[in-house]
Amino acid sequence: MFDVIGKRFWYFLISGIVILVGIISLLSAGLPSGIEFSSGSMLTVKFEEPVEYDLFKEELVSLGYTDAIIQSAGEGQFLIRTHELSDSEKAQLENSLSDRFGQVTEAQFSSVSPQVASETVNNAVIAVAIAAVGILLYVTWAFRRMPRPFHYGTCAIAALVHDALIAMGVFSILGALMGWEINLMFITGLLAVIGYSVNNTVVVFDRIRENLTKGIGSTFEAVVNNSLVETLSRSVNTSLTTLVVVLALLLFVGASIQNFVVVLIIGIIAGTFSSVCVAPSLLVVWDKGEWGRFIPWRKPSKPKA
Amino acid sequence: MTRKNAISLLVILLIFGFTLWAILPIDAVKLGRKGLHLGLDLVGGVHLVYEADFTANATGDDKNRDINRAVTTIQQRIDKYGVTEPIIQKMGDDRILIQLPGFTDIDAAKSLVEQTGFLEFREVELTDVGQPVTLGDYLEQTQLQLFDKQEKGERIFVATMMDEEGNMQHKTVAFLVSDDKDIRLTDPAGNPVDKEALNEFAGGLSWISARGDDGTPLTGEFLADAAPTISRDITPSPQVSIEWNSEGGTIFDEIAKRLYSPEGDYSPQHLLGIFLDSTLLSSPKINEPAYHGSGVITGRFTRVEVEELANLLKSGALPMPLKQPPLYQEKISATLGADFIQMSWMAGLIGIILVMLFMIAYYRLPGFLASLALIFYGTLVLALFKLIPVTLSLAGLGGFILSIGMAVDANVLIFERMKEEIRMGRTLGAAVEAGFNRAWSAIRDSNITTIIVCIILFWLGSSIVASAPVMGFALTLLIGVIVSMFTAIVVTRTLLRLFIHSPLSKKTALFSVDRGKK
Repeated sequence: MFDVIGKRFWYFLISGIVILVGIISLLSAGLPSGIEFSSGSMLTVKFEEPVEYDLFKEELVSLGYTDAIIQSAGEGQFLIRTHELSDSEKAQLENSLSDRFGQVTEAQFSSVSPQVASETVNNAVIAVAIAAVGILLYVTWAFRRMPRPFHYGTCAIAALVHDALIAMGVFSILGALMGWEINLMFITGLLAVIGYSVNNTVVVFDRIRENLTKGIGSTFEAVVNNSLVETLSRSVNTSLTTLVVVLALLLFVGASIQNFVVVLIIGIIAGTFSSVCVAPSLLVVWDKGEWGRFIPWRKPSKPKA
Repeated sequence: MTRKNAISLLVILLIFGFTLWAILPIDAVKLGRKGLHLGLDLVGGVHLVYEADFTANATGDDKNRDINRAVTTIQQRIDKYGVTEPIIQKMGDDRILIQLPGFTDIDAAKSLVEQTGFLEFREVELTDVGQPVTLGDYLEQTQLQLFDKQEKGERIFVATMMDEEGNMQHKTVAFLVSDDKDIRLTDPAGNPVDKEALNEFAGGLSWISARGDDGTPLTGEFLADAAPTISRDITPSPQVSIEWNSEGGTIFDEIAKRLYSPEGDYSPQHLLGIFLDSTLLSSPKINEPAYHGSGVITGRFTRVEVEELANLLKSGALPMPLKQPPLYQEKISATLGADFIQMSWMAGLIGIILVMLFMIAYYRLPGFLASLALIFYGTLVLALFKLIPVTLSLAGLGGFILSIGMAVDANVLIFERMKEEIRMGRTLGAAVEAGFNRAWSAIRDSNITTIIVCIILFWLGSSIVASAPVMGFALTLLIGVIVSMFTAIVVTRTLLRLFIHSPLSKKTALFSVDRGKK
């Protein structure tokens, strides 16, 4: 039988490093937000003739759109992201562009007012918070017959926060490299990760619950270790089948739901790690009162065993 | 095969047959449901959210009534354009959501919706001695005073000028508003304005509401019908013929009688101004003392314009203006959508095949049965999408595809459990039953957490303006999770039981377990 739990402080170290790097990236590069969260207009224009990116950018700057973010979106097609455009501004912009580069069609247009953007941010934050509380309550309730049910709920939430932090941190790094912005699909993906993460953690905890009731295993640590080894192939297999379909989504649907898919991929990997390694380890650490070991200069308190 | 299992199998086959019938062919009408309902981001279209611009003293009841009326009015305007299945809904207390699938001209859609469509009839204000009042007359006053003391309502000043082609153009240049506190001049947008800025329009006439004898102003409210027609004179031109209801007909005749000039005089005193949203459309001369309930609106109209105007007048005025620009606007072209659908089907198909291959390779016979259950899952979910119906957005398709990967989770849990039981020396039959029973609490608890997240996501979706992706995802994932519990538990178990007493059950290799080895 593998001793997974015995190496628990290694997992905390690995997770800690990944989260720390992520947080550094979040603090320095942040999560650039799309118009859904920061308001503004996004316009995709398509020309019949191919147009050079530099020329296009030059023209926009000369029209006064110095703040606009411009992306090439295929042959003769550009995505412009700028402040909220009024009808007349948009018409003027399109006229100027067609004067300069010939016939222009508007492939896509969206515009979000500041009021709606701030509502969306607020509600997204509330949704994530409610999801966390709801899960804490449910897990605590589901494990109510166990000694210290609150431990299970809290550790499940810790795993969830762990996954969410890693997903945001890694996304922030990738976003900085690839110029991605977060949008509602990102939040949707993040919530899906939260659900998925808890789903996995609960399966492991369920086995702990069962084994504890049966009274197999000498110590709590041994029970936790047995339980997660017994559920290991399930954890890995479910993650694999889910990763397979998510990769299929990434390869075939691609850019339009890229945010969502990338968050899911990071989250599924982090979620598998956290449900197998981090959450059960935390249960053991809590049970043994080993918190002191997180602070290097303090002597570890005596394990309860 | 036990009798009970045979019945389960029969029921499952019946459901499967029904779902196949329901979804194939994919765009056929079944049980009154047409095809899969595709969201705006897949078929292309326009998505607008407006906020109503209520007056400060509107009560909650007023707002509620007005917003419902506005929804009906916009619905009527859109219906004339033949958009299939438009969605026009109230959102919160003071917002209106408009989705027009397949209609990608966002500017046309906006102008159609935004027009308040307030039709009113006005006449020129007269001084005590019967002379027409102009903006200049008001500008000359040191302290603003109404010339027509009886009429307390708003004055609209309209300047008339020639454009480059020599056509008459009417332009609303200012308003005069009087209330208990004071009398003031404003610009067309309603902001206070300096007298100096208006000097160039001094010749603009002052128009006041045309009222019936009992003081009721004549507005579009009294219209019974409006239709585009062609005038029958030397130069036929498009116009809108209107029919008044009986009350409107009476008021109109009372006004006509007052304005009628037997001499056929084309002086301002005898004109009736037709205003739409405070803009003068035309100011015909009153030729007869009575019109008996009908009339025409003339002006410099094209054929398309008269059709739009007639449509607008018939659908009635919005009870309040809408704030501009819209809170949220989005236009998705249809070509983008068609690609998405293709790609999503491809991703779904590849995903389901890979998952099936994995399950068969890893779990052998049970994996194969789980793959059959997965096919059953796919068709049942699609049938539900079609019959409920669920509007499938791109995110919704994403949720469905993600749920394929997660749907086998329950099976994985059960099969892992079965393998453990077989290793512990149980017979296959006992292992199957124990596997299902023991795995149940994990399946239940883990799925409930996903359901909690789906419900919260759904709430998030319903509370924000750009709701389609979030709600679509939440709904499809929710349906997926619930259906997958059913297929993994009922369908796979029934299929597995078929094999328990067959000779195949002796070959443990089929169950990917080497007995006795760990």
